[in-house]
Amino acid sequence: MSDNRIARVWTSIAACARREGAPVSLRHVCVACAAAVDAEGATITFSGGGNAVPGVLLSSRPSFDEVEELQVSLGEGPGVEAMRGLGPVLVDDLASLESSGRWPAFAPAAVALGVRAMFAFPIQTGAARIGVLNIYRSTNLPLLGSELADALAYASSALVMALDQRGGIIPDMDDPQNDASPHWRTEVHQATGMVSVQLGVGMADALASMRAYSYSNGRRLSDVAVDVVARRLRFEPDGPLATDSRDNETDRSAQTGTPREDEER
Amino acid sequence: MSASDRAVRETFVKLADTLVDEFDVIDFLDMLANRTVELLEVSACGVILFDHHETLNLVAASSDKARVLELFQLQHVEGPCLECHRTGETIRCEDLAHADTRWPRFAPAARAAGFGSVDAVPMRLRDEVVGAMNLFSASTGPLTADTVELGRALADVATIGLLHERAVRRREVIAEQLQTALESRVLIEQAKGVLAERHQITVEKGFELMRACARRKGRKLVEVAGLVIEGRLTLDPS
Repeated sequence: MSDNRIARVWTSIAACARREGAPVSLRHVCVACAAAVDAEGATITFSGGGNAVPGVLLSSRPSFDEVEELQVSLGEGPGVEAMRGLGPVLVDDLASLESSGRWPAFAPAAVALGVRAMFAFPIQTGAARIGVLNIYRSTNLPLLGSELADALAYASSALVMALDQRGGIIPDMDDPQNDASPHWRTEVHQATGMVSVQLGVGMADALASMRAYSYSNGRRLSDVAVDVVARRLRFEPDGPLATDSRDNETDRSAQTGTPREDEER
Repeated sequence: MSASDRAVRETFVKLADTLVDEFDVIDFLDMLANRTVELLEVSACGVILFDHHETLNLVAASSDKARVLELFQLQHVEGPCLECHRTGETIRCEDLAHADTRWPRFAPAARAAGFGSVDAVPMRLRDEVVGAMNLFSASTGPLTADTVELGRALADVATIGLLHERAVRRREVIAEQLQTALESRVLIEQAKGVLAERHQITVEKGFELMRACARRKGRKLVEVAGLVIEGRLTLDPS
C-alpha cells in the first residue's frame, strides 16, 4: 500500500544508475524523476549551510544548469522560494502575468531559455533541509495528481539519499524497508531535535547521525528515536556518556560520535 | 442534541474569527480538536492528514494526547482512519469490544486506553479525502444524528482551515498547503525535542512553552518553533 510508490521510485533510480553502470547518486534521482513525471529536466540544488543561498547543483541535463544558475544569481524564482519555505512551489506557466509579477526578472528569462512550467519541491523534513528538487517542462502543463505524488516521492528519496551520504551509509536500493520512505513517526522528529542539541549540529546532521546509528546497529529508525525521547540513548560529539546527562557528565569513553545506550534506571 | 446550540455557535464564530489571513494552522487545528471534544462530548479527538505516501499524519490532537498517541500510530496498519481514507466514508465502531476481528491490534489497544467506541470522519475536498477526524469515546453505542452532523461540519471547518483559503482554486495550491501543514508539524516536533534536551524537560512541556510564547507575542507556532531551532529564541521553563 503506502510503500508501493516509494518502492517504485527507488527502483527507477536504481535502474537509471544501472543503465549508466555508475553507483547510485542524487543525479540519478533527477534523471529518473524527470522521466517519471514527463518533464524535460530536473535539478537538485543544495542549500548552503541552512540559509537560502543555493550551492552545488545536479542536473539531468546540462542545459538546465543554466536556468538554475539564473535563479541563484537573480535570487528569485520558484526554487528560491521553495528553499525558504516549507512547501512546494508549483508554477504551471512561467509566461503568465501572475508569474512575471511574482518573479519579474527570473520568469521571462526562464521562458526565453525554453522553460515554461517549473515545480520546486523542498528536500527536507521540518528544519532538516538539504535543498530543492526543481522540475522543468517546456510546455505549460500542470503536474497531474499521480505525477505530483511521484515528484514528492522523488524529493523524499533525495532526502534519504542525501542524509545517508552525510551519515556514510550506502543506501540499499533493493531494500525499501530500510525506513527509506520518510513517513517517520513523531518521535523521530522529536529525537532529531534532541540529538541536534546533544551533538551541537543542525537538524539534517542530527537525523543523518540517527539513521547511520540505526543502520549500523540493524535497528529501525523509529525504535532508536523512541529510545532517544525516553532518554535511554544519547548521542555525544566526543564519545558516549556512561550515565544520563542529568546525573553527571564526567564519564566519557574514547569512542567518537557513537551513542551510548544508558541502562534503564 | 448533545452539545448546546450556543456552544456550537460560539465555536463557529471563534473559528471564523481565526480564519483570517495570518493565522496559525497548527494552533487552529489543536483548538478545533479541543472544541470538538467539548461539543461532541467525546473523550479525545485527533486531526489526521494523509500524505503522498498515503500514510497518516497526526497534525493536531485534543489535550489528552499522550493517551491516544499510540492509537494514531497503530492506524498506519489498521483502524478506522485507514478505512476512512480507503472508502471516503465515515467509519463508525459503536463497540470496540466487538471489533477484534476487524482490527486485531487497534481494537484491544483502544480498549486498553479506556475507549468504548471510535469514529473517523473524512475531511473532504471535492472528490478527494485529504484527512480524517478521529473521535474516541469512553462510552459505547451510537452517536446521535445531530452529533454526527456536527462532527461532519467540524471536519469541514478543519479542511477549510487547513487549506488556509476559503476558495481554493487550483490543485497546486492545495498540494502546496497540505505539504506546508505537514512540514510545519515536523518543524514543531523538532523544536519540542530541542527544548526538551536544552532544558531537560518533557517534549510536552516544550510544546507548552512554545504555545505560550506564540500567544504572548501573537506569532505563529511554526515561527516560534523555527526561532527555537535556529537558537534565536530562548524559552526559559522556570
